[in-house]
Amino acid sequence: MKTWQRSLFALCALVALFGGAAYAQAPGAPPVEFPYTGNRTAVWIVAQLHILFAAFILGAPIFVVISEWLGYRKQDPRYDRLAKEVMKVTVILYSMTALTGGLFIFVLLATYPQFTTWLINHFFLVFAVVYPLLFIGETILLYMYFYSWDAWKGEKKARHIALGVLLNLVGTITLFVIDGPTSFMNTPVKAEGMSPAEFLATATLWDKIYNYSWMPMNLHRLVGNVTFGGFITGLVAAYMYMAAKKEEERAYYDWMGFVGNLIGVGALLFLPFMGYLLAYELCDYDASICPYMMADQLSMFFEMQGAMVGLIFLASNYYIWLSMKRIEGVERVRMTIFAPIVMVALPFVMTWAWDRFPVPDPMSLAILIPLTLLPVVLGRFIPLTVSSRTVIKVGFLMVVVGDAIWLTPHGFVPTGAKLVAELELPSDWNFLALMPAKNSAAFTLVFVTVVNYIIYNRAISQGTIVWGKIDFASQFVLVFLAFSAIWTMGLMGAVRSLLRKYFHTYNLLPDFTAESFTPTLAYSAWWITAITVAFYVVVSFAIFVTLRPSEAKGHAPEGSPAPAGAK
Amino acid sequence: MGNVIKKLVIGLVVGGVLFGVTKALEFPTVFQMMFFAYAILGAVVFILLDAPSLKPLSGVKALGALLVFYIVLCVAYIAGASLWPQYDPEDEKGKIEKILKPKRAATEQGKADELIARAKALDEQAKALAERIKALGGDQAPAAQGAGGAGGPTSTSGAAGGDILKLGEDQWQLQECYNCHKLRGEGGKKRGPELDNIGSYMTVEDIKQKILDPRSWMADGFEKEYEKKKMPDKYKDLMEEKDVEALASWLVTFKNTSVNTPKPIKKK
Repeated sequence: MKTWQRSLFALCALVALFGGAAYAQAPGAPPVEFPYTGNRTAVWIVAQLHILFAAFILGAPIFVVISEWLGYRKQDPRYDRLAKEVMKVTVILYSMTALTGGLFIFVLLATYPQFTTWLINHFFLVFAVVYPLLFIGETILLYMYFYSWDAWKGEKKARHIALGVLLNLVGTITLFVIDGPTSFMNTPVKAEGMSPAEFLATATLWDKIYNYSWMPMNLHRLVGNVTFGGFITGLVAAYMYMAAKKEEERAYYDWMGFVGNLIGVGALLFLPFMGYLLAYELCDYDASICPYMMADQLSMFFEMQGAMVGLIFLASNYYIWLSMKRIEGVERVRMTIFAPIVMVALPFVMTWAWDRFPVPDPMSLAILIPLTLLPVVLGRFIPLTVSSRTVIKVGFLMVVVGDAIWLTPHGFVPTGAKLVAELELPSDWNFLALMPAKNSAAFTLVFVTVVNYIIYNRAISQGTIVWGKIDFASQFVLVFLAFSAIWTMGLMGAVRSLLRKYFHTYNLLPDFTAESFTPTLAYSAWWITAITVAFYVVVSFAIFVTLRPSEAKGHAPEGSPAPAGAK
Repeated sequence: MGNVIKKLVIGLVVGGVLFGVTKALEFPTVFQMMFFAYAILGAVVFILLDAPSLKPLSGVKALGALLVFYIVLCVAYIAGASLWPQYDPEDEKGKIEKILKPKRAATEQGKADELIARAKALDEQAKALAERIKALGGDQAPAAQGAGGAGGPTSTSGAAGGDILKLGEDQWQLQECYNCHKLRGEGGKKRGPELDNIGSYMTVEDIKQKILDPRSWMADGFEKEYEKKKMPDKYKDLMEEKDVEALASWLVTFKNTSVNTPKPIKKK
């Protein structure tokens, strides 16, 4: 996209922002009624779209800079090309982030003017000074980083990488700053013995920002952004692989898909625990949030989340399986027999250990850490091995078992109030629905994925990768991973907003509108899917516009079979 | 093809075994079907693992395949979400209305709405009186005044002088106390003590104090929950005085000594 087009987007965003602000200044301005969607869903759509674009433009530069640095260190032009191509897409999507951000504030002011001005007043310095400055800083750095790419190479490459690091620093600070008011809406400041309104009157800006869920949300979003960026890179690679006409191009985009997936999955391994930390802090803030999430109105949302996470882990490991198939000599790769043994034992031992020694009892770690290290330790002394194929297949079996444990609910009802014996897990088996079992399922998924990547690394060090010859189904796996990750983000975004129940700010500012109820999972799924599709259309367009023409330029052959060492 | 059938058969056998075992262990039917579905998922995964490589597609075929794939994903996710049990928003709307009514009444808009409602009620009364006068030919004063005084808005509970215990039970449902406390065999999950015998240990005032200030009392054996301040202290801001009174009055009627309600320990 040309500079003038990007500028036009940014201008539209600013007009929307100031237009909305001017509208809200009109005394007694009644809220607008959005047709068809209603006000709440209108806000939902623009907010979610904004978050999706923002997540990419904050997450992608993190691994773009890492990729550029790897290319500089290894003198491998593929890494630099990957970084630049992802950056091209990022720059286009930055304009969309600005546009949807402006639309977001406009829709908020139009639909909930009193609440929006209340929130802006409480975070005036943030919205009026800090965030705009960060936004301007990010814009300058982003365009500098992108447009100096060709000029700052060779000896000036280190300078360019340093600029990228600065870009990421500003991006991360921007994320942390905007998470302040966002987390405040869920867990506003409170003090024992005082009403929330009384304490708020005396609270400083830092008190409001540094609330219960601020840092957990920062961590969850930071890790989630990297995951998301990785999977979108995989999506870019899948599209370009399908469109490639030359072997060298196919080889390069096969490699790019692998790298994107590696980053996405690598960050994904930490995500369940970041999410758990966020949920823990929310429940710690107000214990009634926990049953609302897990046992009441939102319980089936978390069942759907369980299904999505299970599918994502299955797909990630399936991609490794397909990647292994294109490595010549993979049949020779073997692994200690203790790896599949521990994989099988892990969920059951973990469930027992955490049930017997609940967190934070350190005895549980005394059992679990040695268990996970057992293959490494015993494998050195007892030379019994099995083929990599066997290990991976046992791994898949345990992914299915882990998914099954994660998915099994306490009762097949949308709310605990309607629980009847015919829909409830028998009491002797109730442990399957409790946190020790769910945690053990999450750990099993992570452990299997790590073992599979170890096997993969072993395979590429012992064999020869034939880039460009991967099973074509792998490209659909990359598309599936990106789509599912986006859908899950939409689902969790809905959950985070719905946690406020009938409040704009939990326990502080009620939502008196008729829409302040919990929507059904089916209704939510429709809108999450629609938003995901809208996002996909824009991203697909961005990829087509930025990267298609670059195919016509000659690129040095980069896809010949890589022997060990040239990874 | 033979391989696919073999794996499918294995999946069906494993599914059948799981179905049978869960049936013998008296799992509800829905869980039996769920475990069967897990086995079929496993079979599908293993079929995919050994599936032949997909031939590369390009151009329009690739685009068409992508579009079809997206449509399948959209349908699968919407249908999958719709298959889970759905919470009925109507269950919640009435509750929200009741909880927020006093807060709405306290706002400027709420006060204006109340004045408008009173004006309308007075207007209706005046019209009714005029009709009666007309019916009597205007000769006689109306035999009796219209019923009711200046009709104000109904109180939150709609139980003006009515059943305080019913109001208390309503509050139990509205504030969703059952999420943490088991009572009459319903609710709980052991976050808080069972309350079936609370009336044997606490008075109405004691229970009111606990609701408004959770730190004032601790249930014996719930030290961990007390230290972690598990019971929210938001009810003093969310509930009206009369609602707390009603809830406490209702709870104090529970004196079922067969249930092991832990002894409350005064902390403040």
